Amino acid sequence: MLKQDKGQQHTFEDKWPSMRAIVLKLLQQEPVTQNEWQDLFYNVHSVCLWDEKGAVKVRDALTDDIMEFIKKAQVRVMSHQEDQALLKAYIAEWRKFFTQCNYLPTPFRQLETSLVGYKTPGFKTATEASIVRKLMLDSWNESIFSDIKQRLQDSAMKLVHAERAGEAFDSQLVIGVRESYVNLCSNPKDKLQIYRDNFEKAYMEATEAFYKMKAPQYLHANGVQNYMRYADSKLREEELRAHKYLESCSGSVQLLTECCVNVLVTAFKNTILAECAGMIKANETDKLQLMFKLMDRVPDGISPMLDDLVEHILQAGLDDMMASADVITQDSEKYVERLLQLFNQFSLLVKEAFSDDPRFLTARDKAYKQVVNDTQVFRLELPSKQNSGVKCQPESKCPELLANYCDMLLRKTPLSKKLTSDEIESKLRDVLLVLKYVQNKDVFMRYHKAHLTRRLILDTSADSEKEENMVEWLREVGMPADYVNKLARMFQDVKVSEDLNQQFKEQCRSTRGSIADSINIKILNAGAWARGSERVTVSLPMELEDYIPEVEDFYKKKHSGRKLQWYHHMSNGTITFANSVGRYDVDVTTFQMAVLFAWNQRSQDRISYENLRLATELPDPELRRTLWSLVAFPKIRRQVLLYGPEVQSPKDFDENTQFWVNQEFALVKNGKLQKRGKINLVGRLQLSTERSKEEDNESIVQLRILRVQEAIIKILKMRKKMSNAQLQTELVDILKNMFLPSKKMIKEQIEWLIEHKYMRRDEDDINTFIYMA
Amino acid sequence: MADEDNSSDRVDNETPKPEKMFTLKKWNAVAMWSWDVECDTCAICRVQVMDACLRCQAESKAGSGRQDCVVVWGECNHSFHYCCMSLWVKQNNRCPLCQQEWSIQRMGK
Ligand SMILES: [Zn+2]
Ligand SMILES: [Zn+2]
Ligand SMILES: [Zn+2]
Repeated sequence: MLKQDKGQQHTFEDKWPSMRAIVLKLLQQEPVTQNEWQDLFYNVHSVCLWDEKGAVKVRDALTDDIMEFIKKAQVRVMSHQEDQALLKAYIAEWRKFFTQCNYLPTPFRQLETSLVGYKTPGFKTATEASIVRKLMLDSWNESIFSDIKQRLQDSAMKLVHAERAGEAFDSQLVIGVRESYVNLCSNPKDKLQIYRDNFEKAYMEATEAFYKMKAPQYLHANGVQNYMRYADSKLREEELRAHKYLESCSGSVQLLTECCVNVLVTAFKNTILAECAGMIKANETDKLQLMFKLMDRVPDGISPMLDDLVEHILQAGLDDMMASADVITQDSEKYVERLLQLFNQFSLLVKEAFSDDPRFLTARDKAYKQVVNDTQVFRLELPSKQNSGVKCQPESKCPELLANYCDMLLRKTPLSKKLTSDEIESKLRDVLLVLKYVQNKDVFMRYHKAHLTRRLILDTSADSEKEENMVEWLREVGMPADYVNKLARMFQDVKVSEDLNQQFKEQCRSTRGSIADSINIKILNAGAWARGSERVTVSLPMELEDYIPEVEDFYKKKHSGRKLQWYHHMSNGTITFANSVGRYDVDVTTFQMAVLFAWNQRSQDRISYENLRLATELPDPELRRTLWSLVAFPKIRRQVLLYGPEVQSPKDFDENTQFWVNQEFALVKNGKLQKRGKINLVGRLQLSTERSKEEDNESIVQLRILRVQEAIIKILKMRKKMSNAQLQTELVDILKNMFLPSKKMIKEQIEWLIEHKYMRRDEDDINTFIYMA
Repeated sequence: MADEDNSSDRVDNETPKPEKMFTLKKWNAVAMWSWDVECDTCAICRVQVMDACLRCQAESKAGSGRQDCVVVWGECNHSFHYCCMSLWVKQNNRCPLCQQEWSIQRMGK
């Protein structure tokens, strides 16, 4: 067969009629037999091979037939007037045609090679690159589509509009239109160009127009809170719809979402935000959650909400503290509980309304810090000037109360006795939590150290392990290292001192017998325990005085190069008080002991203040305080000493005030007199004298000044030259763990450093500083 | 305020002589020690002599080992951290304060 046909019947004119019949069947989607399909392949092949102009002729004839077919389809589509019918007809025609775009080009593959030559190998499989396919799509685009695309698009948008209004319809119609936009594009660089320029654009505009009209109506009719729900549900709805009707992977969905956010949320931003403060106040967490969700999609939507939150925490926190000021300023436990309750309340709000979003957590921290450090509730006066103590700068009493509360937990107290170890630990952790927000951590550490000193000296720690843990926890929460190190040294030191005490007792036992049991010594490192050296003179009772040289001799043998200073205001003991009623063991300070022993030679006498002063040699303020503790100790019915004439406070004693031992002294328990018993009159052990208390406050100021100077030098040494503003920022950054330096203090220290030639001002700019080595 | 009711009657047995109204049962005496120096600060490292020298502080966190950082006195009566001085004399065998030839008078313990 092949041989016979050779050179004769392979011209275009010979073959086309039979080929055409099959082509038309394919276009009309009529069934084609296997043979016909194969013949078409064969004929295309042979025409291209044997007829010089065959390929061109086949293409032209094919174009004509395709155009012909499209024209008929166009007539069929355009015969519909009604939008849905038109869409339906178009999509049916288009789908048919588009299916053929995948079949018809296959037999004509030979045509491609003949027309293009062999220049572009590697295209064989890609139907998209097919000339015939392109020809089909271009023809469709040029004739039918460009003619009616506006109508198609408008109809599709009308359908979407109807869907938004709640009418149901076949969504395939809109999808079909979109597909034809996408598939018709013949721009190889941007295959979505036609889709984007027409369909997507129309979709956006229709959406925007729809909500521009609907949203204000809804807001007006239903109010802001309902509107937020409306906007939120519409955003979700439109996103789902966009996924359905817009081309995926084209960025269209995101574009549409942005468009919706603009028209539904951004346009009403201020109206919505105006509700925020009220909702926070009313703790309407669900509504806030919704507002947060909406505003998070709007530029600058969150920051007004943050401001509202800060404002609320400040207001609510301070109002709350003020309302119970009389209780909490007196009672550290109540104060800390109040602060924690506020913290938990605000944290819960941030969690429930804002899902613990970091921006809201930061705002909570900022506001809570202000509440904690606020000075309105109470004021602690610190002298602010280095030389004159006249001007005072108020500070929050918070650090002091926190330290007092810690002491109640760590000392043997009714509170610590009723709590379990775990409960105490969790309460200490609470303190640490609040402490993180305290600006003047140095003040906390000062009080904490004073309490610790008392606990260690009086042996009143509830749990020594917890004591040492606390030191590490303080380190963990970033308390200034040099303060924490001092505490750690105290623990170490007290252990060293305990060893020494045992050795002393052993030696004492061999020389003095059982009396050794009645004396304990604590010899501590002055660097770790005591600030400046202060000496309170007191004339010790003979019973005690004898021990002093003995201890000193013992210590000299153990150590050399050391000097000892007795801290009698810290030392204490137990005495037995025997009178006509009974015998009592009384825990007293050494000062109280010195005063009471004055009666040992003259037990029935009345002794004047003046004579007690001569007998004890105590400085005036210490003697007054000691006497007051013996005539007016809180919460006991019968005092150890009686006096007259009566006064209101210790400062009212005059030199002729008379004191005498209460021979009727007795312990009273459940209304009954006790013949035996034990009582503690130590109270809060005074760690310093009245005079040095002021120095204590001064010394904190001094230390702050020193730290500010050090930090300024450190920063300047690194930067060499910097602006005032920059210096202030870095300074606060370095010091914030200890305290917040005031602008005034910084300014004063800068002046001082300039005066002393550590730094100078730039000649050209007085606000720039230069380091001087 | 009465805590417990268990005072011992040991005191009775021990004191046959006419009893005093107040008798000592226990005394907890407190004293602070410090190096017996004229100047609180070590002129070499500029740290208080009661604290460990800079070197020892850096080596031990929280001041452990501090007990070993003692003070040394020269014949000139000037005093320094022993650690600081022993490094100093390797370079210059004179007291940094008075320039006298350094010789140890005594060591702190
Ligand atoms: Zn040194
Ligand atoms: Zn050292
Ligand atoms: Zn010297």
